[in-house]
Amino acid sequence: MGSRIFPRTIWFLAALLALRVSGIASVDDAQSFALQAAEPYIKEGFQVREDYWGGDLAAGEKKAVRQQLFKGNEYWFWLGTEVERAKVSVHVYDSEGKLAEQPDGWEKGHFAAAHVIPKATGSYFIIVAIEESPEERTHWALVYGFR
Amino acid sequence: MSLFAKCLKFTTVALATATICAFGASVPQHIDIKPYQKVENVVVPLPNEVFGALNKLGSVNWHEYVRTNKGPNFPDRSRIALLLGTVIADGFIAVQAEDAPAVKDIGQRVQTLARAIGVERSITQHAKAITEAADKRKWESVRQELDRTQNSVQQAMNEVHDEKLSQLVSLGGWLRGTEVLTAVVAKRYSQEGAELLHQPDLLAYFQTRLKGMPEFNVPIIREINEALVQVRPMIDVGSARISAESVKKINEITTRLDYGIVTRE
Repeated sequence: MGSRIFPRTIWFLAALLALRVSGIASVDDAQSFALQAAEPYIKEGFQVREDYWGGDLAAGEKKAVRQQLFKGNEYWFWLGTEVERAKVSVHVYDSEGKLAEQPDGWEKGHFAAAHVIPKATGSYFIIVAIEESPEERTHWALVYGFR
Repeated sequence: MSLFAKCLKFTTVALATATICAFGASVPQHIDIKPYQKVENVVVPLPNEVFGALNKLGSVNWHEYVRTNKGPNFPDRSRIALLLGTVIADGFIAVQAEDAPAVKDIGQRVQTLARAIGVERSITQHAKAITEAADKRKWESVRQELDRTQNSVQQAMNEVHDEKLSQLVSLGGWLRGTEVLTAVVAKRYSQEGAELLHQPDLLAYFQTRLKGMPEFNVPIIREINEALVQVRPMIDVGSARISAESVKKINEITTRLDYGIVTRE
């Protein structure tokens, strides 16, 4: 009986651990991936803000972040999630709803980036989306840099 | 280059191009933003975002705007939060001027104010890093540490559910940044410089936040509230230009508010 209880206990503990690991994953983890995407740009002179914006979304859901951008500056927005099999996207629109980003933005699985050189100073909408994900809810974090 | 290498290079370029094309083709060129306009939060820019844009329009004598006076300490936490935001913005100005003694003074002032508001622990290491980087004239590091300081202060406030104080830190920084922006543009007016004031959503955001702070019943906050009502039509001009007169008027208003934040008992 003892030998049967032991594997059961192991399975129970393993399941508990898996549950905890998935529960522990947070927006902070997503942020570290967003910062990872930003890293190469720091060498190009971009100042990456310490602050970040995040939350969780279901696959197919979108969220907008409204942001003041200044003409004369150049911006990159980086989106990341810790869910490695997820696909994310980020796009930037001006206050009229017109796509305002440069064509060199990119999407690579659980990372995405958008590049903006504002034509006018004003409010812009950063639209983040979880395109695909094996998770019910997927944490996301958005960071940005400017120069 | 071998034939294989040539083929590989071509395939890589073709694939990359195809990826970019696919990316570009799938993105809607226009969206209906009405559903998103209800988004209440607006990301508040750091003062140096607008200073950076201003720098690109022509050289600015930042030394003229450096300020290091110690100023009074206030017992009221809302007033300290406003002042803290203003002083951090002064730090960014001192960095623009590359004024190491001023940066160090400001670093100490930030620490004193953070202590008064109970969030000193969150910024001790940043204050030290600011002093060290200023001594070595590593301005990029100072900028980063100022950003970290503001972020840590606000996070510490948010953690103890003092989000409103955190918003006042942002407001203090924005007011000081706007005061200096309008001073620079008023001195040498240009349409491009004045356009940097086109921040209507940010202003609306601050107005909404202030309305949600009836408990902070101090004269300066009431004054800021009234002043934002005055400023809004001057910057909420759509695609029209912001006039030299408006720039001057906004400068008068923000200078008066800044004086109130820094000095009034």
